[in-house]
Formats: sequence, structure tokens, C-alpha cells
Amino acid sequence: MDNAILRRRKREVLGGVIVLAALALLPLPIKDVYTQNLIIITVLFAGLAQAWNILGGYCGQISLGHALYFGVGGYVSTLLYLKAGLPPSLGLFAAFGVSGLLALPVGWPCFRLSGHYYAIATVVVGEIGYLLFLNWDFVGGATGVFIPFHGESWAQLQFKTAKLPYHYLVLAFAAATWLTAFLLEGSRWGFAWRAVKDDVTAARSLGVNIFSSKMAAAALSGGFTGMGGAIYAQYVGYIDPDSVLAGHFSILIALPAVLGGVSTLWGPLIGAAVLMPASELSRSYLGGSGRGVDLMLYGGLIVIVALARPQGLVSLFGRKDDHARIA
Amino acid sequence: MKRRALLLSAGALAATGRMARAAEDVVIGVVYPLTGNGAAVGLDAKAAYEVAVDIVNGTHAPIPMLMGQGGGLAKLGGAKIKLVFADSQNDPQKARAEAERLITQEKAVAILGSYTSATGATISQVTERYEVPYLAADNSSPSLHQRGLKWFFRTSPHDEMFTQGMFDFFRDIGAKTGRKAKTVALFYEDSIFGSDSSNVQRKLAQAAGMEVVADIKYRAASPSLSTEAQKLKSANADVILPSSYTSDAILIMKSMNDIGYKPKAMMAQAAGFQESAFLAGAGALAEGVMSRSSFALDATKSRPAITPVNTLYKAHNNKDMNDNTSREITALLTLADAINRAGSAKPEAIRQALVATDVPGDQTIMPWKGIKFDASGQNTLGTPVMQQVSGGIYRTVWPFELAVMEANWLV
Repeated sequence: MDNAILRRRKREVLGGVIVLAALALLPLPIKDVYTQNLIIITVLFAGLAQAWNILGGYCGQISLGHALYFGVGGYVSTLLYLKAGLPPSLGLFAAFGVSGLLALPVGWPCFRLSGHYYAIATVVVGEIGYLLFLNWDFVGGATGVFIPFHGESWAQLQFKTAKLPYHYLVLAFAAATWLTAFLLEGSRWGFAWRAVKDDVTAARSLGVNIFSSKMAAAALSGGFTGMGGAIYAQYVGYIDPDSVLAGHFSILIALPAVLGGVSTLWGPLIGAAVLMPASELSRSYLGGSGRGVDLMLYGGLIVIVALARPQGLVSLFGRKDDHARIA
Repeated sequence: MKRRALLLSAGALAATGRMARAAEDVVIGVVYPLTGNGAAVGLDAKAAYEVAVDIVNGTHAPIPMLMGQGGGLAKLGGAKIKLVFADSQNDPQKARAEAERLITQEKAVAILGSYTSATGATISQVTERYEVPYLAADNSSPSLHQRGLKWFFRTSPHDEMFTQGMFDFFRDIGAKTGRKAKTVALFYEDSIFGSDSSNVQRKLAQAAGMEVVADIKYRAASPSLSTEAQKLKSANADVILPSSYTSDAILIMKSMNDIGYKPKAMMAQAAGFQESAFLAGAGALAEGVMSRSSFALDATKSRPAITPVNTLYKAHNNKDMNDNTSREITALLTLADAINRAGSAKPEAIRQALVATDVPGDQTIMPWKGIKFDASGQNTLGTPVMQQVSGGIYRTVWPFELAVMEANWLV
């Protein structure tokens, strides 16, 4: 790497530290739980979108089935807690492991497909997972699973009405996904992926074989998504197939990254920071009328951004496509 | 010393201020899907709550039921109830966030909700943590009240009580006519609703000594149900127990008709079979179909409040009350009565008043025996009715004392 790239990466790290510190301080003056909740959901989805971005952005494999990893992660930590007594704080890592491993057999056959076919295959796999959980009595079937409240505890990640602990939990999660994306961006794999995205044939002729690194990206992406699912389950206190495995979740996970800018470090966060408040606030303050105005505004916003900034909102900040700079 | 005196007098001022405004509104939060999937039900619920709150707050001729006299909450100096609606979009996470917002920002002293049981599950966790009562008007999953929650109350019967009613009806009608149903066929969609419903039916059929001769699960909203109709025909059970939504309900009636099969008896787990779209879509094929219901619009003789309340509801929403909207109105009246008896808008006082609730059935618009909560917060007197389609509308056939016609029992 030449000096320009090193300098740029140093700046990214500095930016990351500043944003992390800002987000750590952000909830301190905020007293109302509604806004706290909004920030938590936003940061969680920034992390999930970054996890998706690892596979869907950097690696170029558009997945529309990430609800599978999200849901499985939520179920793994919840069931380990309820059936085996494993505290959810450890269950998060189990969720990472299981969802990450699950991404391997999903990726194995699906990576042989390209473009639209791969995206469609992931939709189908996600739907299969949804139906399996819906009809599987051991995991609560369609009734879902309640997580009983046993008092405040970091080990069990349960807090009566406090929101701050969840805030730092999702912040740590989002920071971990960001750091992973940052490391991948500068790694040999990152260069190989960019080469393949630019021109598959040219990359192959130069001996770039990325199948194994694609599998690794799938595992990391799936693993982090599963971890996010475990946090979500613990935060909401109840999961059922409809609320964690349904197809619209796959879209919700991908949307912030797509809107904010794919294969960029800051796109997922910017996308989430725009989308989640827009969705929550419009629902809360306009949804009560029952006329769907909130959904129209939300949909309209996405259309406007897509038309005005097809490279994502991150391009507003004057950064060119990251890989164009590095390459 | 001076500061303390000042504080004291400020406190006294505030107290008199509060007394002068004794009729301060009591805020109740209402969480329903008002957009997206489930919005149709949520909007009807909103209309139902608006009618109920007008009955409590407004001045009108007294309606012969709980809180039917109007004029606000008498024991709170005529205070009015103010409803704040929130949209859950039928998503458990959003329902949770909205309940939290209603309690912390809108200062709701109780929450009503919420149509689907998944949203009821998360709302009741929030209310438990904030120590505010949650009154489930229409969540019907039996698992909800079995979680040992202190702040959870449910006026509505749950699914097990509904299904128990069906089997009580089979027993009673068998004893009355001498023709006992011996076999049942289960027919249910692959959802939380279908699986819960069929699980209880399987259990209760066994307890009643009835044989399950067919156990058919199908993909909801299937394009074709002819294979399933064929299976039902070859099993030819005394009673078919379907758990389906509207389009599947119409389709299975047509599919059975296409292969020339007329079941001896069908007893539906409400849902699609109770919809007016089903009665219109299935037409003559619907004749004789039975369904459980928690509401009987035709029980006007034993429940004199039904006619005036339905008139108000119809004027507001241009349709008759149904299974859901009647339960929602009843939930609000029950809650208003508890707040009134508590004489206070403090959540703990309301909770204690709810625990002490004991309302006889004829003081409601429901065909229930009454409203009385057990230790888990479940209303144990919410007994369902069985209805049968006759002349294109559902008519109550059981319990016999509320029946408006004899059941056409062809087993």
C-alpha cells in the first residue's frame, strides 16, 4: 500500500474513534426512553447493515436472505438460555458461531450462482428457514418464545427499564462490525473482491480465486447478523418466526447499507441514521391516524434518495467510491 | 426554614390546583396495527374504542350496562377518559416501543391492545416493567396469561376456552338429540392460529372420547384445496373442525362441493368463517356451517345493551359489531369501571380495582357469564357461544338459554 492509502486509512480510524465516542456520549443527556429506544434500534441496524455489507457490499454477493441468520441467532441464544441455562451474554457468541457456520452450507451451493440467481437463491433459503421454524415445536413453532424477566443482570442482558446498557451493547456490536469491515477493506481478500467485482474474467486470468474468501465473508457476515439477532431477541423479550425470520427482515437489514452506500465503511451507519428515525418517527406521530401517511413518506424518502444519490447517501460527504481510491 | 415554607406553600398551591382541575383527563394508551398487515382489524378496533369512550364520557340516555350512564368517571369528579392510539404495524418490536412511549411520554395509566398475540406478548412485558396495567381485549393465545405477570389482564376468552365451548356443545347437543358426535376431522392452516387451534382440539377430542379420523394441515392461502377436500370426504367425520381465514374458508367449501361432499357438521374456529366475505362468497354452501364466537349480536333479549351500543357503533363505522369489536368495547368499559371504582388514576389503584372486578354477564354486551379475573389475570367467566348459519346469517344455537333457534344437527 502506498502512503496515500495509509493516510486515508489512518483518517478512517480517527473518524471511527470520533464517531464511536460521540455515539457513546449521545444518550447521556437524553432522558426520554422513546428517543433512547430509537437510537438503540438505529445503532443495531447500522451494525446489521454493516454485517450485510461485508458479504453484499465488499464481496459483491447480494443476499436477500439475511433474516435467516438474524432469526437463527435470536433463537440460538434464547433457546440456550431457556433450555440449557446459558446466559445470553455468552449466548451472543454462540449465536455468532451457529449463524456463521450456517452461512457456509448456504454459501457453498449458492455461490456457484451469479448475479440475480444468487439473490433469488438466498430469498428461497430464507423462506425455507422461516417455514422450518414455523413448524418446529421444539423451538416454540408459530407461538414463538417468551423470555421471562428475572431482574437486572448484565450476564442475562436484562434490564428493567434502563436503556443505557442496551445502548452500549449495540454500540459495541456495531463497532465490531465496522472494525471487521475496515480490516477486510485493507486486506488481500478486500483487493481480490474488488478485482472480481470490476471484471470477473480479468481477475480469473490473473489467478485470483476468491471462492474460499467468499465463504469466509459469508461466515463473518452471517455470524455478525446472528449476533445482532441475539441482541434483538434479548432486547425485545419475545421472538417468533414472523418477527425475526420473515422475509421483510432481510430487506430491513440490507436497506440501510444500500441507501447509505454499499461497500463503504460509513454507508450502513448513515443509511440507518436516516431510515430508522424516519420509519419510527413517522409511525409514532403519523401512524395513529391509520391512513398510512407514514409509510408513504418512508417509501417516498427511499425513492428520492435512490433517484438523487444512486451511489448512496455517503456520497453526499464528498467521498468517492472507496475501492476506486484504493485501487 | 424560609425555603421550606415556600416549598410547602408551593405544594399546597399545586394540591389545590389539582383539586380545582379534579376532572383531569385519564389517559389510556391503545396499541393496534393501524397500517400494514392487520390494519383493517385495527381500524375497526379504533372505531370501537372511540364509540366506547363516547359512551363513558358523553351525555346520553343511560344504556343498561356497565358504565352506560355516561358523564365521565363519577368517582373522579366526572373526569373524562382520553385515548391515545399508537400504530404497532403488527410488529412485536414496534408494539413494545409504542407501549413504552405511551407510558413514558403520553403518561398513559393503562394500555389496551392489541389484536395479534405476538404484539400482546411484548406490550405486556413493557407494562409489567413499568407497572402499568395491560388489558388484553382480543389477544387469544393461551400462552399469554401463563407467564405469571402481575399487570396482565384479559377480558377475552382465550383459544382453549373457545375450543372447550365447542366440545361442551357437542356433549350437550348429543345429550339433547341422542345423536352423539364420535369422530372429528381437523383441518387447519400452518400458522400460529392454526397450530394452536388444532393442538387444543386434538387434546380435547381425546378427553371427550372422540376419534380424530383426519388431521389435515395445509399451506395458508393455497391456490387449491381439492386434495384436502378429497381427504375430508374419505374420512367422512361426524364433525369437521376447520381453522382457516376467509379465502381458504370459501375455497374448502367450494372444493368439497365440487366433489359432491356435504359434511354432516362443520364447527369453525371463527376467523375466516365468521367474516361477512365468507357468507357472501360461499353463499348457499355456508348454510348449516357452525362457528364459535365470543359475541352474539342476536342475544338482544338477555343483553339489552346490545341494540343501543350497536346503533352507536353502526353510526360511527357503518357496520355491525362483530366478534372483535364487541370484545374491544367491553375491554374499555371494564377498564373504565375499574378506574372509576379505584377513584384514582394511579396504576396500582387501577390494578387492585381490576383484580376486584366482578361484573355479571347481563351488565355487558357479551353473552359471557361475566367478567372476573383469576390470579393470572384471565377472565374465567368469558364463555363463548356457538352459532350456525341459517338464511345467510349466523344465529346463536348454544348455550341453549341464549339460543335464538334450534341447532340443525345432522350427525
